[in-house]
Amino acid sequence: MQHITHFYTLDFRAEGLLLNIKNKIIIPVFILFLTSLLILNIITPDKDFSESENRVLSQLPSFSFDKLMTGKYTKDIEDYITDQFTFRDYWVSLKSDMERLLLKTQNNGIYFGKDEYLLEDYEEPSEQIDKNISNINKFKNKLPDVFTSVVLVPTSVKIYEDKLPLFASPDNELASINKTKNNLNENINFIDVYEALNSKKDEHIYFRTDHHWTMRGAYYAYETLANSLNITPYSKEDFNSEIVSKSFYGTLYSKSNDRSVSPDSIEIFKPKFDIDYTISYVDTETKSNSLYEYSHLSKKDKYSLFLDGNHSLINIKTSVNNGKKLVIFKDSYSHCFIPFLANHYEEIHVIDLRYYKLNIYDYIEENNIDEALFLYNILTFSEDKNLRF
Amino acid sequence: MVFSSLLFLFYFLPITLLIYYLSPQKYKNIILLIASLFFYAWGEPIYILLMIFSSVVDYSHGLLLDKFRNNKSKSKLVVLSSVIINLGLLSFFKYGGFIIEILNSTLGTSFASLDLPLPIGISFYTFQTMSYTIDVYRGEAPVQKSPLSLATYVTLFPQLIAGPIVRYKTVANQINERKETFDTFSDGIRRFIIGLGKKVLLANNIGLLWSQIQNTDISNLTVLTAWLGIIAFSFQIYFDFSGYSDMAIGLGKMFGFQFLENFNYPYISESITEFWRRWHMSLGTWFKDYVYIPLGGNKKGKVKLYRNLFIVWFLTGLWHGASWNFVLWGLYFGVLIAIEKAGLLRIINKLWKPIRHLYVILLLLLGWVLFVFEDFSQGLEYIKVMFGFNNVALYNNQFLFYFVNYIVLLIILIIGSTPFFKNKYNKIMKNSTNSRTSFYENIGMTIVYAGILFISTAYLVDATYNPFLYFRF
Repeated sequence: MQHITHFYTLDFRAEGLLLNIKNKIIIPVFILFLTSLLILNIITPDKDFSESENRVLSQLPSFSFDKLMTGKYTKDIEDYITDQFTFRDYWVSLKSDMERLLLKTQNNGIYFGKDEYLLEDYEEPSEQIDKNISNINKFKNKLPDVFTSVVLVPTSVKIYEDKLPLFASPDNELASINKTKNNLNENINFIDVYEALNSKKDEHIYFRTDHHWTMRGAYYAYETLANSLNITPYSKEDFNSEIVSKSFYGTLYSKSNDRSVSPDSIEIFKPKFDIDYTISYVDTETKSNSLYEYSHLSKKDKYSLFLDGNHSLINIKTSVNNGKKLVIFKDSYSHCFIPFLANHYEEIHVIDLRYYKLNIYDYIEENNIDEALFLYNILTFSEDKNLRF
Repeated sequence: MVFSSLLFLFYFLPITLLIYYLSPQKYKNIILLIASLFFYAWGEPIYILLMIFSSVVDYSHGLLLDKFRNNKSKSKLVVLSSVIINLGLLSFFKYGGFIIEILNSTLGTSFASLDLPLPIGISFYTFQTMSYTIDVYRGEAPVQKSPLSLATYVTLFPQLIAGPIVRYKTVANQINERKETFDTFSDGIRRFIIGLGKKVLLANNIGLLWSQIQNTDISNLTVLTAWLGIIAFSFQIYFDFSGYSDMAIGLGKMFGFQFLENFNYPYISESITEFWRRWHMSLGTWFKDYVYIPLGGNKKGKVKLYRNLFIVWFLTGLWHGASWNFVLWGLYFGVLIAIEKAGLLRIINKLWKPIRHLYVILLLLLGWVLFVFEDFSQGLEYIKVMFGFNNVALYNNQFLFYFVNYIVLLIILIIGSTPFFKNKYNKIMKNSTNSRTSFYENIGMTIVYAGILFISTAYLVDATYNPFLYFRF
């Protein structure tokens, strides 16, 4: 009997204890969560670069009284804390999962398209596009003897518009391309590559996770514009195609934070015929014999494989002895396109106006160049503020 | 510093709590004071002087009031001086540019703009400190003899930058004698997490929709997009503001303070009068106690009643920002409340309940349009689109896209604007008599809270959009 009573009181006590603590379990949970993250944040070493987000992370700012008084110091500290937060990649992907749970189909201007396509929104262009058009006209007026061609490449959001999520309605890139075509001087050679690309959309002509086209896409554009540049294009059979990476996560992946898509592959085309190239990266004073910098394949930004990414000025000299010289004003879409053109010119001068700040008219004169090509994707062309000389 | 930041959540808060609870009772206020000054100085290193100045002014005026307790005219002068200094600070920093602008445009002068950054939370803390001297003057609160305790009240970080406007008499006793218990502490945590979730998960997310629609050229909007946009803003400002208040009340509890409630499900109101009893209650009571009633309230005849309403709502509008649209917004509500007082309320009360809600929601949405567009002509254009003027389309793909993308969130927001979750929660808590099930239910609730905290952390780490809406206030 005594035994039973004893048991009963024990149970009663336990129950009382449970009732007493039940509301307060949140206290250790909360405190442990905050302090463990505090400690982890302090002890985990800082990183320089986020591979998945493809950007340099903020570092602990140096202290100065001036920076403190303007509020810059404290702001930098907060950026530092956010960027170096422990398990950052995990938190970012958790947010991405939550967003999909809410049935969101867009993040940071990137649509989550069908078949794991990430598609960057194209908004109605501002007046910048008109400025860019008139700047090209000015260029031509100043150099009437330079044979000038313009190629505006649509981005994947136009070619793969059938893969857009329900009701997504980006602005029509073709309208901007046609507007440019109609407003350029008549003596400028405008080449429309939309049809050529659109007819090959079943092939891997754009990356799913990156804002660029693929080298295969660039090939079809090259095939189309060759005739109007008075060159005879090589056929696809003249090249060996090779998949050099199957683990490419591009800029759209980083920007959209959609961590559910599978990686992209990168294909390159190497000529079967004999040809030598000498590439000089003028800004970094380096030289190479290859149009590809394979070291980038082990990094995040694998698209830099093509012509080593962004440089203000690149000179390409080839073993084609025809005396033809070309200057290209471009964005990064040209990087996987130039390897095809390089087989037809003795010299190609590649200028990125975002970084090149010297006088280009002098440059063209000094180098006796008589042919110019503007190659941009329509999104950059609509927004870029650097297309001026 | 703001609550919804990683710095606050994972550095400032745990460290402050640790030091606070490890210190002996007599040092607790000074620790809160130092923490609060640090909190304020983080974003505004110079304006910390303002904070200290404010504390000194209010402390000395309090002592003077105590000294002249039996001298009506002298104590009146003292309280006047305190009000003038506080309002002077507010006017100089917040309304200086606005006043110069008005002078320049009406008199044709060309005074240079001051271009001072607005000290964050100045509208909140000047109102708080004014309440101290007024309450002491009225004999509604005892004088604070300890300068440290008063400075603790003036700078108290939980309610410093976005309210609630805690009046001195509410916390007068708690400043020197408060009890931190496990019960209030755990209540405080829950309340804080709810507020954090409202701000980070709900307000920021729906704010993204509003910012997208706001950035669309008005001429490109359709009728339904315009409605969706202003509905999004209504939810953003409610969940943002009430989330801040929840976090403030929760933090207060963690340090043993009991603040008054600031929001009480305003969007379920059935009249505009009721809405203002449920929305930003601490501001409403402040104006009622320190402006409306001293002016005579409704006790001095019809004419004075309407005059008083006009003054109060003019000031309420102006308090929200130094721009005419806020004044207009305040007067808009003043007029609505006056009409309701004049008899509309009696008619409304006879209407079918859904009609009453519709009436309130419609007027609130129009009010938010006035509030959110600083340029009145833009607001008017927006309202024209809402009502289909100029042959704008009813909807387009853009609208459908937004709708599909935000429908889940909108449903959560609608339910969250009603006491639905609270009632469910109270039911669970009520059933918690001596049963083991209630223990498991509590564990379940704890998991829910932990989940909100966890997901909020993810949204803070990857914050693409985390605005502080009250920098104008």
